[in-house]
Amino acid sequence: MVLDLAGVIGWGVYIPRWRVKASEIARIWGFHPKSPQEIGLEEKAVAGIDEDVVTMGWEAARNALKRAGIDKNKIGAVWVGTESKPYAVKPSAVIIAEALGLPRTKLSSDLEFACRAASEAIRISIGVVESGLVKYTLVIGSDTAQANPGNVLEFSASSAATALVIGPSNESVAVFEASVSYTSDTTDFWRRDGSPYPLHGEAFTGEPAYFNHIINAVKKLFEETGLKPSDFKYVVFHQPNGKFPLSVARILGFTTEQVKPGLLTPIIGNSYNSSALIGFARVLEIAQPGDRVLLAPFGSGAGSDAFSILVTDRVLEKKDLAPKVDDYLARKTYIDYATYSKFRGLISRIQE
Amino acid sequence: MFYSLPRAWRERNGHYLLKATKCLDCGKTLFPASNVCRACGSRNITSVNLVDEDARLLSWTAIYSPPSGLSHQKPLLIGLLETINSKVKLISRLTDVLPEELSENMVMEPVLRRVSEAGDYGIINYGIAYRPKLGSRQI
Repeated sequence: MVLDLAGVIGWGVYIPRWRVKASEIARIWGFHPKSPQEIGLEEKAVAGIDEDVVTMGWEAARNALKRAGIDKNKIGAVWVGTESKPYAVKPSAVIIAEALGLPRTKLSSDLEFACRAASEAIRISIGVVESGLVKYTLVIGSDTAQANPGNVLEFSASSAATALVIGPSNESVAVFEASVSYTSDTTDFWRRDGSPYPLHGEAFTGEPAYFNHIINAVKKLFEETGLKPSDFKYVVFHQPNGKFPLSVARILGFTTEQVKPGLLTPIIGNSYNSSALIGFARVLEIAQPGDRVLLAPFGSGAGSDAFSILVTDRVLEKKDLAPKVDDYLARKTYIDYATYSKFRGLISRIQE
Repeated sequence: MFYSLPRAWRERNGHYLLKATKCLDCGKTLFPASNVCRACGSRNITSVNLVDEDARLLSWTAIYSPPSGLSHQKPLLIGLLETINSKVKLISRLTDVLPEELSENMVMEPVLRRVSEAGDYGIINYGIAYRPKLGSRQI
């Protein structure tokens, strides 16, 4: 049986207005002033006091729906990939869906796999769309990333959201030509139940986790498709800092020029489930029909997916239908560490 | 702070979508939604969502002594707005803006935000707040 392929019908992002400089975090916690720079980090986006995964995901999804221009009643699944959901028990997906006026006859879940849950939701979407189970899905990657105050992770852990409407290829701005996953039991970064912040294995998050999983996923994709790095105009990897994506690109044979357009972590931080996806969104906003994109998110624990995506003519007519990544990048106001602490609930207080 | 679960559930679409009704006879949009047009008495009405349009800021105030449960969000900025297409006047929270950045007739857009919560363990109430329209170079 030959199945029609699935693709991206619309995309949307959200980045909060507020930014804190990595140098401010280094100053407060006594890091060497060059520490953030050494891992390619300048500043990060910070969600406001009334924002969370649901509110950010709502705005990204609203933008994706504006670009998709579809009948909302035909959305058959809403999946939210997050590791910072407001309710430990109670799906974020149903709040976002209700607030967008989406139909109630749909699948709805929050998925968790560190930074790659939304990526898995894309692969699930490809499955349910290609099988004909549903016409469209809405995938949201949204995180108000947590980091233990004073830990090196705090330089990068940021807030942002990206949403994709996925559906049949003949309506798509970009078609999923092929995709593979590579997962294993590798404990490089974790957060125990009830713990407010994650812990990580420092250098162990690199070679056995990030690099091993992404390299294996991408090599498997190359093996299955016969494609090679020069077949891609852009490549977007998960971006926990500004250096890892450039290193993994080099190892796999990609050039810095293929990585740079989708590399946003240096200026907005690592938005976890939105990290690779927001880079992919920015690439769609500059891509031309016929461009091929390699997308390879990663999540600790650990796993990676690799997608080969072909941009279609429709991308040109959709770009301007909603605010772009660069519109959100341009809207920024710096805050100090104290304001950031208040916004992200880092100051212990009792409610009155 | 006590919250009624049934009330939050019953009113959720009003809070999320700003559900209103438009009179098909005289054209007036009513918010909150009503089964009867309060302007002409007609029952010939249709449903519209004010969340689908931008609004202009007519006036605003800053509350420095907010109600319980909201003290960490002070000053609470509250605006009187008029929606651009339906010409409905409504009162709403303002967000992503500093008091000194506000100006009369500023174009604002609706966004979903955490409006209140029942302590650290109770429910979170989401609703619409308005922020300066993205890309309008107003701030």
